[in-house]
Amino acid sequence: MSLDAGAIERLYRSHGHIVLRRARALLGSEEDAQEALQEVFASLLRAPHSLRNATSAVGWLYQSTTHFCLNQLRNRRTGARLLQSGVAPAPAHVAGRGGEALAELRRVLSRLPADVAAATVYHHLDGMTHAEVAGLLGCSRRKVGYLLERAQRSLALLEQSA
Amino acid sequence: MTTSLANQAWDACSSALQFDRYLAGELEPPDAERFHAHVDACARCTSALNELRSGAKERLPPLRVVPFPPRSRFPIRALAAVAGLAAAASLLLVVRSPGTRLKGTGFALGMYVEHRGEVRRAGRGETVAPGDAVRFAVSAPVDVFVAVLSLDANGHGSIYFPAGGRAERVQAGNDVALPLGTRLDATAGEERILGLFCASPVELEPLRLQLERGGPEIPDGCQVTRWSFVKR
Repeated sequence: MSLDAGAIERLYRSHGHIVLRRARALLGSEEDAQEALQEVFASLLRAPHSLRNATSAVGWLYQSTTHFCLNQLRNRRTGARLLQSGVAPAPAHVAGRGGEALAELRRVLSRLPADVAAATVYHHLDGMTHAEVAGLLGCSRRKVGYLLERAQRSLALLEQSA
Repeated sequence: MTTSLANQAWDACSSALQFDRYLAGELEPPDAERFHAHVDACARCTSALNELRSGAKERLPPLRVVPFPPRSRFPIRALAAVAGLAAAASLLLVVRSPGTRLKGTGFALGMYVEHRGEVRRAGRGETVAPGDAVRFAVSAPVDVFVAVLSLDANGHGSIYFPAGGRAERVQAGNDVALPLGTRLDATAGEERILGLFCASPVELEPLRLQLERGGPEIPDGCQVTRWSFVKR
């Protein structure tokens, strides 16, 4: 796959909606999702080799979007933005799938270690099998099982303390 | 898993990743056939696929060029000087509006194009290519609120600058690079550019819509420059 700027622009047009859809669900804010869309492709313009080495463009976009959005959630937490003002209103199509629960999920994800949070997103929000999660995280299926167990324990603790 | 998480789970038979890879044509033919056969027979998966297909039709905003950090990585003045193109303000691609509603003259818009790693100053009616990065620069005798809108050959209006919904303040100066560029999409044909210089941060979405309908009416307190380039 040739990855000059024109190719990246075409990829943006053909695949950008994947990034936008997942960023909306993960961030719950249209403005932040649009920023995620631009940032994911800006990172590709800066380092096109990162995709050239990937086996799947869609998989790369899932990884990159998840990484960016989880960082954003952690940054929000660091800035006490969520704690002080709550989660930004989700667009209607996100809220329709359970906006309050997603807001809770974002708060929880911001507190989990990066690999645990990513495994949680892939498995529970994207419905991936352990093998698919392992493929994106670059680890074994056994490790995925361990990460998801950790997530479950953390979530149970957070629910108890809520 | 907790109840709340379970409620959010992707509920089709294959993962969202598989659906997206199928739609992107990434699955191997036998896998794609199996996937297709299952979806045809499964109402839940059909619904999920239709929802994703519908989302894929959304028109995306222009792909921005990476915003410049405080110390520009894209030294427009230096590049222009090297190219011998910074000789005079008269080279700026400006057609000033006959009815200037913002007091004063000297408001001008220029454009730089990056094509395959090389940067050049664009001329009027310049031919550019899909994937080229463009960045605008303005000259203004006073601080002014600036916006750059475009209308592509398909009649779709875009806001190239700024990223927000209102014109953004730019300091007075000559050939001041706007802190945001755009990566051009594949829509071929003539693209019209509208540079707005306003005394206040005017709302841009109404102007974009008017542009698509043949306008816009220039808001009070603004003056405008118009020009175009051809994408092929």
